[in-house]
Amino acid sequence: MSLVDRAPAPLSEPLPARDVTFGGYLVCMGGIVWRESLRFVHQRGRFLSALVRPLVWLFIFAAGFRATLGVSIIPPYETYVLYEVYIAPGLIAMIQLFNGLQSSLSMVYDREVGAMRILLVSPYPRWFLLVSKLVAGVAVSLLQAYAFLAVAYFWEVQPDSLWGYLTVLPALILSGLMLGAMGLAMSSIFKQLENFASVMNFVIFPMFFASSALYPLWRIQQANVLLWHICSYNPFTHAVELIRFALYGQVEWTSLAVVSGFGAACLLAAIYAYDPSAGLTGRRGGPDAAK
Amino acid sequence: MSEIAVETRAPALRVSGVTHAFGAKKALDDVSLTAPSGAFTALLGLNGAGKTTLFSLITRLYENRSGAISVLGHDVRQQPTRALSRLGVVFQSRTLDLELSVLQNLLYHAALHGIGRSEARRRSLAVLERVGLAARAKEKVRALSGGQMRRVEIARALLHGPGLLLLDEPTVGLDIGSRRAILDEVRRLIDDDGIGVLWATHLVDEIEAADRVVVVHKGRVLLEGRVDDLRARGGSEDVGTAFMAAVAETDRRDKAAEHKTDTAA
Amino acid sequence: MTTDAPPRRPSRTARLLSASAAAAALLAFAGPASAEKIFVSNERDHTMSVVDGATLKVVETIKTGRRPRGITASPDGKLIYVCTSDDNRVEVYDSATHKLVKTLPSGPDPELFVLHPSGNPLYIANEDDNMVTIVDVNTGQKLAEVPVGVEPEGMGISPDGKTLVNTSETTSMAHFIDTATNQIVENVVVDSRPRVAEFRSDNKQVWVSAEVGGTVSVIDPATHQIVKKLTFEIPGVTAEAIQPVGVKITKDGKTAFVALGPANRVAVVDTETFAIKKYLLVGQRVWQLAFSPDESRLYTTNGNSNDISIVDVASDKVTKSVTVGRSPWGAVAVP
Repeated sequence: MSLVDRAPAPLSEPLPARDVTFGGYLVCMGGIVWRESLRFVHQRGRFLSALVRPLVWLFIFAAGFRATLGVSIIPPYETYVLYEVYIAPGLIAMIQLFNGLQSSLSMVYDREVGAMRILLVSPYPRWFLLVSKLVAGVAVSLLQAYAFLAVAYFWEVQPDSLWGYLTVLPALILSGLMLGAMGLAMSSIFKQLENFASVMNFVIFPMFFASSALYPLWRIQQANVLLWHICSYNPFTHAVELIRFALYGQVEWTSLAVVSGFGAACLLAAIYAYDPSAGLTGRRGGPDAAK
Repeated sequence: MSEIAVETRAPALRVSGVTHAFGAKKALDDVSLTAPSGAFTALLGLNGAGKTTLFSLITRLYENRSGAISVLGHDVRQQPTRALSRLGVVFQSRTLDLELSVLQNLLYHAALHGIGRSEARRRSLAVLERVGLAARAKEKVRALSGGQMRRVEIARALLHGPGLLLLDEPTVGLDIGSRRAILDEVRRLIDDDGIGVLWATHLVDEIEAADRVVVVHKGRVLLEGRVDDLRARGGSEDVGTAFMAAVAETDRRDKAAEHKTDTAA
Repeated sequence: MTTDAPPRRPSRTARLLSASAAAAALLAFAGPASAEKIFVSNERDHTMSVVDGATLKVVETIKTGRRPRGITASPDGKLIYVCTSDDNRVEVYDSATHKLVKTLPSGPDPELFVLHPSGNPLYIANEDDNMVTIVDVNTGQKLAEVPVGVEPEGMGISPDGKTLVNTSETTSMAHFIDTATNQIVENVVVDSRPRVAEFRSDNKQVWVSAEVGGTVSVIDPATHQIVKKLTFEIPGVTAEAIQPVGVKITKDGKTAFVALGPANRVAVVDTETFAIKKYLLVGQRVWQLAFSPDESRLYTTNGNSNDISIVDVASDKVTKSVTVGRSPWGAVAVP
């Protein structure tokens, strides 16, 4: 082909076997985040459903229950808040929960086909690829969370000060990392969860409902002490509370510790599980089984 | 410098003594083979022979627990980064992102190899030119035909300048014209760039007389050599007939061995 | 009449008051001199909470006569007047020292009152004997009694001081009284249980809330015609829970705030278009309202949750709620 002459670089020569550089790491992570965001933007349906789901809760569920929430001032609130305001942090965490599980579980579906294989033949270490994938998922969840906050703003669900939108960012990143890492760990460990409907039933719903997302913990304690204990230990509760306090420029230290600790544990588990030498991917029934 | 020396001496791919099992089922049994640089090596086997498992091990989707695999002298277990950076792969299933443009797919892949944006652009356009699809760089992959998608995947596999190109049944589902075009494309790469190619297939008509052939069956290598060696082994001038004869003979021998162990017990 | 009867436990009250005054003096040194103070009457505690406007903390709780309800301040902010309903008198406190300065006769069961814009006299609604009692705050003399409807409560006075409006809960009327003659000039029938009357600063409107009727009637004081009857609808809140009580209108006359009782909301109303701009969530059974002297804040007394809520008037947002005594009834803020 005469075109070969014009090709500026002969393709076999210029990149000999090399050790990856720090700049290369950044390029790699940047590329993964870029692609994930691009896909997200292209998939309008996904964007809409990610936005509509919490808004349905906000507009319909919360509107119906606004008067029935017990009136009591709990930190970080300094006065009485509408139920919409109360559940907004929980709905943001729900966005991140869905997003984290969705993007991680897509790795299960993609394991033998598509994007996953291309990702994993990258020369960068497997742990780094997983972390990048996680970061990409968090970036997308941030887009969703802020889109939700923007709509909520016009529904008069607002933090005390506009600074809240900034102070909530670190909390959103942390909770996004935790929920994404949890999804990653689950995607590698539980084979049965390859069906999203069962993930809904066995993970998302229990985590969401047995948390402080919909009711304050003191209310749950009054209703059922056992449930209250479950809620208090549920990492999702702490993701919600971390976000809730951060929206008001405050740090809930217990939640910060739980979210960081649980997130790190999930990430380590996922890295272990995806490691080609130690992990579970190779023992999972061969490529033919996956087809 | 010594790295380059290692690479020029080593074959593009060397697999030696690799066994891999999923549970009790052995997918690969003591597999050894070589794909030299500058040559077309056909990995011939029926469906389920273990070709895809072998590819998964070479690409380090799973780690080989026995034996050794090296790409241009770099062991995939010891030096995965170097081995993978010298490796280009076209998987059997489609791995392009249909929602993204051709160029975006390539840029993503370049990023996965740590190639910065401007360099990635330059290389992407060059490889697309090479497979004759430069004009469609901005189009969504969804708009391409099956054959064109394959060519984009080949272009993508070449983007980081690999020394070994793996193709897992790349012509499955394509019409005769596209199959021909892709084969020609790959063969031209070998001539022009001197890279090594391992081409997995179950279609004997994709093999030319000068090619190297590795026949695998039930996870074992039956034969490694020239096309003529296969003809001799199968006792037929027709490659297809020879291949089927070799496979049938192995099955027969297995059955006899099984029978023997049964009666012995 | 029991109005001049001395309380039965003067010595104890005096002791408490002097102790409080000492504490207040200390606090006055500690805090910024110009910080505003909010005085809240706690109906069931027989006390008055003093909230520091800067820290929004209760700095002192003053023991008052029994069942303190209506509360207001002299125009210069130096004196605080409190109706102590079960002691049948009005108590006057020094807003700086928190000390009881004197008591005024009020007639039986005083609930709400209003000061003449000049600071004198005081017009007091006597819930039990269907009278409005007019008292000179300087001499402590009862100047007149005006017979009105049954269970008089709400008291509003026009900015020029010429017209007094009293509402009678059982008769469901707003009585327009000429302050020159102390005669009723007109009775306007409004909805059930009118609680509060509030004039707009330009004297063109007087707003009368009807607790049971759930409405606010806006009356033209010149024609005595109801120009608008406001109703309220809050999603998720039953109509019975909407019980308008306290009304405050900004000095610029543009915005009215209406406390809606057990609806736990304050309605923000445009006084020109009568459009309800917003419902603000505050504590339970919000009763009376008070502006800060600069009108940057609105304070609401929440009788069932025992706190006051603070509304930022510029942004129409509730910023904080502060626990005070039991059943806070009314509030007044002074510089």
